[in-house]
Amino acid sequence: MLRCRVCLWACAGVVLCLLFVPGTLRAQGDVTRGGYLVQASGGCRCHTDTAQGAQPLAGGCGLKTPFGIFYSTNITPDRETGIGAWSDEDFLRAMREGLAPDGSHYFPVFPYGSFSGMTTADLLDIKAWLFAQPAVHQVNTPHAVWPPFGWRWTIGVWKRISLPYPRPVLPPAQAGDPQVRRGAYLVNAVAHCAECHTPRNLAGGLKAGWFMAGSADGPEGELAPNITPDAATGIGDWSAADLRWLMQTGFLPDGDDVQGLMAELIEHGYSKLTPEDMNAIVAYLQTIPPIENRVSKD
Amino acid sequence: MSAIGRMWLVGLLSAALMVMVAAPLSAQSDEAFIQYRQKVMGSQGANMGAIGDILKHQLPLTENIAGHARNIEVTAGLIAAAFKKNISAGATDAKAAIWQNWDEFADMAKNTADKAAALAAAAQSGDMSRVGPAVKALGGTCGDCHKKFRKPKEESYKNK
Repeated sequence: MLRCRVCLWACAGVVLCLLFVPGTLRAQGDVTRGGYLVQASGGCRCHTDTAQGAQPLAGGCGLKTPFGIFYSTNITPDRETGIGAWSDEDFLRAMREGLAPDGSHYFPVFPYGSFSGMTTADLLDIKAWLFAQPAVHQVNTPHAVWPPFGWRWTIGVWKRISLPYPRPVLPPAQAGDPQVRRGAYLVNAVAHCAECHTPRNLAGGLKAGWFMAGSADGPEGELAPNITPDAATGIGDWSAADLRWLMQTGFLPDGDDVQGLMAELIEHGYSKLTPEDMNAIVAYLQTIPPIENRVSKD
Repeated sequence: MSAIGRMWLVGLLSAALMVMVAAPLSAQSDEAFIQYRQKVMGSQGANMGAIGDILKHQLPLTENIAGHARNIEVTAGLIAAAFKKNISAGATDAKAAIWQNWDEFADMAKNTADKAAALAAAAQSGDMSRVGPAVKALGGTCGDCHKKFRKPKEESYKNK
């Protein structure tokens, strides 16, 4: 009898722990799905200093912006220098609100303005995949950003004025289309295309009314083309097959390769998308408003 | 003026004339070389584009893929000679790194030729399942070489 009571209390204790201990003990996300979502987001390339042959996801990659150089952080599961000590809640708060576990703001070069649109399940799948990767002990490199842009407390103000990002509303005819809605989710949240392909205002937020119209000052100073369906200055003269071929191979309709950061994102990420997801992205991009904007460095 | 003085004058004028004529000829040669090698590279791109058109639009022309691949193989074999003259200024996207790393550049061109030959063989076999990976391998050689030796879009002469 005593043994049964002890057993019963022990079981109750385990159940209580599972219910109330922070997220690391809850049901884990799906590693395989998480890996696919990471590819769909571009492969987390920003967190790997490929130029220096650094360890994957260990950070240290410098991203040149008009505000200075931001260095990506270590997102391996190292408990001391990475995110290994993070709970599910910590991860969700970072990805959705741009807040670190200690409550400090992340600079929006970390595209939480886009990732905030992701579902909890998808985000936890990504966390599961990240936590299944090798832990790398590498201290984060301090950002080299000019004041006041390097003052974290100002990001709280920035968030109030810049988020949520302005996006066009889906036309009624497409709003009910599951393929277009899936494409909108992939483009706006997962792959965060607007972070590069939409020009920014003086405060660094996305310019309203210029959704995907291209930017001469994209990440690392690269030209990010106009990918609205404008025939003269965007991709309006591209067929759906051209768009899919670009995502599959990195080749443009004229036979040239896409070069730069996009080439890496395609190689390590977008080329791994399922045909259904590629079709969804194409379907959505064909619905966004065409904007005449010839992007050049002049 | 004495005869010797006249001789000196004629000699100086002749030398000046030769310099004036030679300088623009040299500049034209550079431009001509740039135009030639852009056509060689353009031919590469046109044939890659044609292969892409056949595959992405599922055109009933898969028997032409081998021919386009052989074209790429041939023109890839011309790249080293086309770029032998060191010209990185002017209306060109060629980086100076080409001539600083000549052996590597030449090896990459040969690799493109080899991968194009492999694509031609894959297409010739009629087994379309081999064509996709071969196209990807060939395309990879384009990107690898461009990454190191071609100016990015932001610095392209076309953008100026």
